[in-house]
Amino acid sequence: MAAPRPAERPRPTLLLLAAAALTLLTLHIRGAQPLDAFQQGIRDILEPLRSVTDTVTDPLQSVWNGIFGYEDLRAENERLATELARLRGRTVSDDADRELLERLLGEVGLDYTELDTMVVRILGTPPGNFGTHRIEVDAGTDDGLQAGQAVVTGAGLVGRLEQVDRARSTVMLATHPEFLVGVRLVASQDEGLARGTGRGTLEIEAGIRLDAEVGWNEAVVTSGGRSLLPPDLPVGRVIDPDEQAEYERTVVIDLAADLEGLSFLNVVLTEPEGDPLGIDVGRSERETEP
Amino acid sequence: MTPRLRILLLLVTALALEGTFLDEFRVSGVSIELLLLVAILAGYHGGPERGAITAFFAGLLHDTIVGAPLGLHALVYPPLAVAVSSLEQRMLRSAPLTDGLALFAAVVAGQGLASAVGVLFGVLGPTTDEFVRQAILAGIVTAVVAAPVSRVVRWATTGDLPDTIDVRRGRA
Repeated sequence: MAAPRPAERPRPTLLLLAAAALTLLTLHIRGAQPLDAFQQGIRDILEPLRSVTDTVTDPLQSVWNGIFGYEDLRAENERLATELARLRGRTVSDDADRELLERLLGEVGLDYTELDTMVVRILGTPPGNFGTHRIEVDAGTDDGLQAGQAVVTGAGLVGRLEQVDRARSTVMLATHPEFLVGVRLVASQDEGLARGTGRGTLEIEAGIRLDAEVGWNEAVVTSGGRSLLPPDLPVGRVIDPDEQAEYERTVVIDLAADLEGLSFLNVVLTEPEGDPLGIDVGRSERETEP
Repeated sequence: MTPRLRILLLLVTALALEGTFLDEFRVSGVSIELLLLVAILAGYHGGPERGAITAFFAGLLHDTIVGAPLGLHALVYPPLAVAVSSLEQRMLRSAPLTDGLALFAAVVAGQGLASAVGVLFGVLGPTTDEFVRQAILAGIVTAVVAAPVSRVVRWATTGDLPDTIDVRRGRA
């Protein structure tokens, strides 16, 4: 049972603590480097312990996942079986697909698979329950990674590095509601600012003209420029061009990369050149540049 | 061992456990919120002031391991600890079931408030359904480990306090 002493003054203490927390929060959000370094230092101290725990608890974790993740495993198994059946059935259309890919890459003018990349292994979700649409990978600053670098699979964009510690990094997936990326529609050449929706798709919120001809299934790639991410990375295909929009057009994109069941990813090793806060710019702002 | 050292030891142990061992065992992707539990129990056992200070540092450590901006959870945890302490003093009777339910509600509130502050400061997107699911699951899995943690937090936070006479249960 609590034993409040007569001298306790919770209200002033609470106010002081709230002021301290708000100050720290404001400084951190405004990009105070020492606070980042402090957090990164503590995570780096914990890292060896985490690696050892990962290894030691592997058998226990398998049992745990067998008990609490059985339904997920069964769903994953079904999904993979469906995917396998679909792929077997698609051998006939392979030639057509290859032609489509070559045409897309030709339109883009770059084979993004030739970019300098580094393979990283997915470790799981970051500790705690704060937020979603983030995963942890097994490489960090010691391997030459830095925040803001694009993360891709053979199919296209997956996300970008958000936090990079010495031996681990956190990837913000493209579906995260705070993920912003400048994109270009390959056919219409319109550029816009796309944001994750938290539901497996992205929406181009700004930049697409109301009268632009946007087709269903049209390919979408990153726009580059002042964006953090390199240009011409495949993002996905248009699944809703929002042709009926009267004021603001919101084009919905289905991600090309499948974010389910991933084990390895590629980090594109080009240095991010854009806004360090990760805020991309849309067409209108770019057009005002000299 | 001095009370401050006890609390430091408690927080460091909780940080290490939450960042390593407990993170390996998730239920539907949700893990135990050990530092939040420590914050709540510090308010319950240590009183409002000591609870708030312990909760503040628990929040800072939580911010560090989950990658949230420093101060976000530290803003949420102290008021929660004070509220728990205040409610605890007003409760007429205490039973394991009511304590468990109150703890569940406190964890859900803490998790929900942290998400709300995250949205307010533009750190999280407004995916309310996911936050609610996470908060409820976190409340359940955290309440499961509350009993042993409660003993440790009680040891750490009531180190130098005089023995209490609990008149509600009629025992010293």
